[in-house]
Amino acid sequence: MKFLLIVLCLPGLLTTIMAASAGKDIVGPPTLHWSFVPPKHSPIPKVKNQRWARNPIDAFVLARLEKEHIKPSPPAERATLIRRVSLDLVGLPPTPEEVQAFVKEDRPEAYDELVDRLLSSPHFGERWGRHWLDLARYGDTEGYQIDRERPYAYVYRNWVIDAINRDLPFDKFTIEQLAGDLLPNATLDQKIATGFHRNTLMNYEDGVDREEFRCKAKVDRVATTGTAWLGLTVGCAECHSHKYDPISQREFYQLYAFFNRTEELDLPAPQPKDKEARAQTFIESTNQAKTCIHLRGDFLRKGDQVTPGVLSALHPFKSSTASNRLDLARWLVDPANPLTSRVTVNRIWQHLFGRGLVNTPDDFGVRGEAPSHPELLDWLATEFIARGWSCKAMIKSMVTSATYRQSSHSRPELMESDPLNVLLARQNRFRLEAEIIRDLNLWAGGLLNTEIGGPSFRPVTPDDFKKLGSAGTFIWVDTDGPAKYRRGLYVFAQRTAPYPVWLTFDQADPSEVCARRECSTTPLQALTLLNNPVFAECAQGLGRRMLGMKQPCSSRPKPAHYSPSGKDQSRLTSAATEIERGFELCLARKPTNEELVRLEKLYEDEWQLVSKHPGPAAKLTEEARCDDKEAAETASLTAVAQVILNLDEFINRE
Amino acid sequence: MNEIVQLTRRDFLVSTARGVGGLAFASLLEADGLLAAQTKKGAHSMPVDPLAAKPPHFAPKAKQCIFLYMEGGVSQLDLFDAKPKLNELNGQKLPESLTKNIRFAFIQKESATLLGSPHKFRRYGQCGMELSEMLPHLGSCADDIALIRSTHTEAFNHHPGELLMYTGAQTLGRPSVGSWITYALGSPSQNLPGYVVLTAGRAASGGNTMFGSGFLPSTYQGVKLRSQGEPVQDLNNPPGMTAEMRHYGLDTLRDLNKMRLKVVGDPEIASRIASYELAARMQLAAPELTDLSGEAKETLEAYGVDRDAGGLKTQRGGGPEAFQTFSRNCLLARRMVERGVRFVNIHHASWDHHNDLDADLLFNCRVVDQPVAALLMDLKQRGLLDSTLVVWASEFGRTPLGDNRPGFASVTGRDHHPFAFTVWMAGGGVKGGQIIGATDEIGWNIVKDPVHINDFHATILHLFGLDHSRLTYRFRGRDFRLTDVAGKVVEQAIG
Repeated sequence: MKFLLIVLCLPGLLTTIMAASAGKDIVGPPTLHWSFVPPKHSPIPKVKNQRWARNPIDAFVLARLEKEHIKPSPPAERATLIRRVSLDLVGLPPTPEEVQAFVKEDRPEAYDELVDRLLSSPHFGERWGRHWLDLARYGDTEGYQIDRERPYAYVYRNWVIDAINRDLPFDKFTIEQLAGDLLPNATLDQKIATGFHRNTLMNYEDGVDREEFRCKAKVDRVATTGTAWLGLTVGCAECHSHKYDPISQREFYQLYAFFNRTEELDLPAPQPKDKEARAQTFIESTNQAKTCIHLRGDFLRKGDQVTPGVLSALHPFKSSTASNRLDLARWLVDPANPLTSRVTVNRIWQHLFGRGLVNTPDDFGVRGEAPSHPELLDWLATEFIARGWSCKAMIKSMVTSATYRQSSHSRPELMESDPLNVLLARQNRFRLEAEIIRDLNLWAGGLLNTEIGGPSFRPVTPDDFKKLGSAGTFIWVDTDGPAKYRRGLYVFAQRTAPYPVWLTFDQADPSEVCARRECSTTPLQALTLLNNPVFAECAQGLGRRMLGMKQPCSSRPKPAHYSPSGKDQSRLTSAATEIERGFELCLARKPTNEELVRLEKLYEDEWQLVSKHPGPAAKLTEEARCDDKEAAETASLTAVAQVILNLDEFINRE
Repeated sequence: MNEIVQLTRRDFLVSTARGVGGLAFASLLEADGLLAAQTKKGAHSMPVDPLAAKPPHFAPKAKQCIFLYMEGGVSQLDLFDAKPKLNELNGQKLPESLTKNIRFAFIQKESATLLGSPHKFRRYGQCGMELSEMLPHLGSCADDIALIRSTHTEAFNHHPGELLMYTGAQTLGRPSVGSWITYALGSPSQNLPGYVVLTAGRAASGGNTMFGSGFLPSTYQGVKLRSQGEPVQDLNNPPGMTAEMRHYGLDTLRDLNKMRLKVVGDPEIASRIASYELAARMQLAAPELTDLSGEAKETLEAYGVDRDAGGLKTQRGGGPEAFQTFSRNCLLARRMVERGVRFVNIHHASWDHHNDLDADLLFNCRVVDQPVAALLMDLKQRGLLDSTLVVWASEFGRTPLGDNRPGFASVTGRDHHPFAFTVWMAGGGVKGGQIIGATDEIGWNIVKDPVHINDFHATILHLFGLDHSRLTYRFRGRDFRLTDVAGKVVEQAIG
């Protein structure tokens, strides 16, 4: 009977069942879509090349490669590996000293130690917190025309960074964000966590029906929960039952009902340096509002009344009669839930390999892509639960695998058979995210302020950007002082006017849940990296660092290879050392001879140019306060620095 | 147009020979044997240039678009849709049957009364299109215009309404119509972005959200072109970085990127190299574009580039400089069309006339009437109008009732009206000199041929040779469309 009901309510599911049976020509009971079947702890496959496999992940990957008669790639150079894992785990590159030490190190446990060190770095929470903030559609403003500031939105961001740093198990991480207020003796921290669903938009435009936008916010809460935890396009069932997946419109509003019984509450939540801070939280409403289906998604057209409930195609809902958000949260992280653990490990995989095992991280439904390595995905999903939902443990397994450590160099022989590297016969090479590109530039320029947490800051923007606010009420005043050099995840997220650099580098839209960012290559990116004032300042900073110049020129000792005599007295006779220093700092490797020669030629060309015409270049060295000759060196090295900072390799993780 | 584009390209080749752009990209690829590899890879190959021309679904009529957006809600009753009956009923109440279940932004239903229009209309062109006398220049183009008096929307408030008109949805984070078209077709320009945005008047009330590429790659976002100063943000070299210094740097950068390409073999590096070449070309092309010194005096006068406000004042921001900015924008739009930009967007705010409708409308009409007409005539004269679709749009219209919100001493304006308003199209395969749809005697409801914004978008895409139901992008598990789940081509609009 129950099956019949499902079939009746869920034509999409039925289609799948029929398609699956028809396609495979199997006679027998209909099968469920793969992601609705609970994951099994797959046995670890046997492989021929047992020396290659470092852990079970590798066995799964290698078994598949061996089936296709493909050999895995050799390991990446150690320098590449340390830069890769540092960028992946903390979003900052290793220092040249760290690189050298790691390259020289031959103890096998050195890599594991490096990984442990990175996992325990407080910057880990920033890097992985930002991934989560994409799903949380974090923003510092209300959205829409008025788009006024939410001055304490950051309190939730602080919570995310901290929770990830202390590896709060993902089940607890889930429960606290969806229902922290409902936990027995809820702590302030657990209440702050409910800020996740306070990141919805509100329209304060004159003449607006507030109820319409309150409804939109609740709809968004359902859709976002569906994407972030279930990897299902639940939001598609707002106006009508889902066309492909087993999600009826009634079920959409049953989920909606959980969020319809809440009230928003701002609580005092003092933060370090900000005693006035208030957390945006949720509480269960004393006035239990009834929920009706909105016919065709129109909040004014009420259909049948519904009570809170979950998706019937999934595992049963263990709850008392009066179910609330806490029951919903527990249902999401119930080990019987076939989706949450798969969806979560898949996203972790995506961040470490550039592509998920399921390449549609936001759609595990019928229309999503099938997993490339289904047994591996299931093994990871079950391990995740078995290891107490520890994200750090999963990340460690992945980054210590031989699969992760492979070289990312393209393999011409596989270009045709596996152009997208689905089989993982190598690592992937991919462009870094908007925030990380800015962080790297500031870091290379010696400008990065690594302070963790706290309120957002507003980086330098042009006047026409600031004028965007004049129609609404927002005011953008560039932040001055050291805060302006803070990491990108602290940039003020003005929803109607995102920071232009972010738009250019495909940052997630702050107003919608996003499980995967685009990764484009555009001329505006080139113009930004070459000319944007912040990036130009970083090039100057790197130029000065290359000269070993912490102080202005006038007060620093001359480098050893200054020529004491000759036609260019006291000129840097060769910039090779300085160039190598800058190159190594940025790319974690020494330049090849060919690269070095080319950069030296650049230095020489620039030096000739600037020496002849020092006037126009003077602005490049203003900060350094040099005399003319030294100014020519500084300007030339700044030009070299700029090239290094614009290298494709610099903004990629290889 | 071809001649000009070629000429321009030749100019850039000359510049390239001087070393600004460096090696031509194709030869670079060939030299590295990558072009062959790319071709062999077929469907799986990563497109090197995301703006490379892509074929439409069927033969297009329009190849480029100039999208004129009047933010705030243009009063169709005072400009495009004459209602003698409304004038007759001025000051009277509406029957309750009409206002029942209707939402207003500000109007108090109980005491609201109809507001006639003091503006005279007359017939223009051979087709005899009835338009306000405040639009005499535009009237002279009536035979090229398809006036759609039966447009409707669900959006009630500005920002959601603007999002709907630009992106087909009231939600933030969706691609703009300009992004969709450049995504679908690429852009003919080798030196300028495919989708360019110009603004005039006060700041857009939705910030940057209407011009975004949403879930599409940022390649397709609207790039703001400034009509004064640095034409594009971060276009100019930073202080102290002279053109010569930069030239050496870019040559080195290209060489080093090529070296890495050889080692790691990632075709994305080739894309990166190409993007720097396009950026360098843009550094030359954008200032050339905004330099109007080569335009004939008659042309500058026709667009009114040096006009002043003639003593007119406005309550709603923008100020007298809107006259020159808007004129310049229209002329720049033509120049961009000549240079192969796929989609030019001119956004003008604000038309939100809740009060002082008469004075502010006159001001805005004076700002836009002459240059928009000059643009249409200029395009026509140059043989560009046939392939350039010019669109006039707004998020909604204005109500036949006077805006009597609390706090207003007297009724001098109109509230938002989503149920019936006017937009128009010209050129690009549109059948001009016709009126599509009709509204009732007071302009409250549509009585003939309703055109939803989804239909309007479907029609625009159709003119570009695109089937709106097939132009999709998979995001969060759903195949998104500009027309959401609806849209019907307005066949009558097509010539």
